[in-house]
Amino acid sequence: MPVFRADEEERVRELLDALDRPVELLVALGPAETPLPGARDVDFGAETERIVAGLAALSDRVSFRVEDEPPGFERYPGVAVLPDGDDPGVRYYGLPWGHELATLVGGVLEAGRAASSLAPESLERLAALDRDLAIDVFVTPT
Amino acid sequence: MLLAYRAALASPRIRACAIEATEFPTLADSLDVRSVPRIVVNGVPQWDGAVPERVFVKRILAAATDRRPRVDSRE
Repeated sequence: MPVFRADEEERVRELLDALDRPVELLVALGPAETPLPGARDVDFGAETERIVAGLAALSDRVSFRVEDEPPGFERYPGVAVLPDGDDPGVRYYGLPWGHELATLVGGVLEAGRAASSLAPESLERLAALDRDLAIDVFVTPT
Repeated sequence: MLLAYRAALASPRIRACAIEATEFPTLADSLDVRSVPRIVVNGVPQWDGAVPERVFVKRILAAATDRRPRVDSRE
């Protein structure tokens, strides 16, 4: 099954080709949580790898690699978005399918920007942050 | 979700994770995830639903001083 519909693929390809800086996706595989009933036939790790490979195939600006339980991951499967080889702490945990594929693509597009797309006032406020923040956003694919 | 990613990319003090709730039911249950998006900061649930950028930044900065104990199982 293709990762993108034909019309989506062309649009995503254009967006990725326009990235200011290259983005690498690190797919972390490891022991998954007990699957939900009905999901037993899905290999979440293998499927995540397939989707990320399909995304990276669309542009020379995006690459990917797969590692088994690399440091810096709390659960599996996970994908780290690494602009210019740096790790700013952008992760997607789980299989990025359905509606959530757009989240991963959006993360890549944001990471590939040379300048933040946040408003100057937001950047100013965040610059004053004096402690670490771990933001977890729970999402569902439907 | 993209606001969280943008915040992480803009600040070395912020990291942002999207977590597929149905795939990690134990964690989602521990944080009482009933609707999405649910935003959790430093292990403490903050709010549900999408908000404008200005509100998002205000809320995560307020969460930075939230003294409630974290409820997830990571630490």
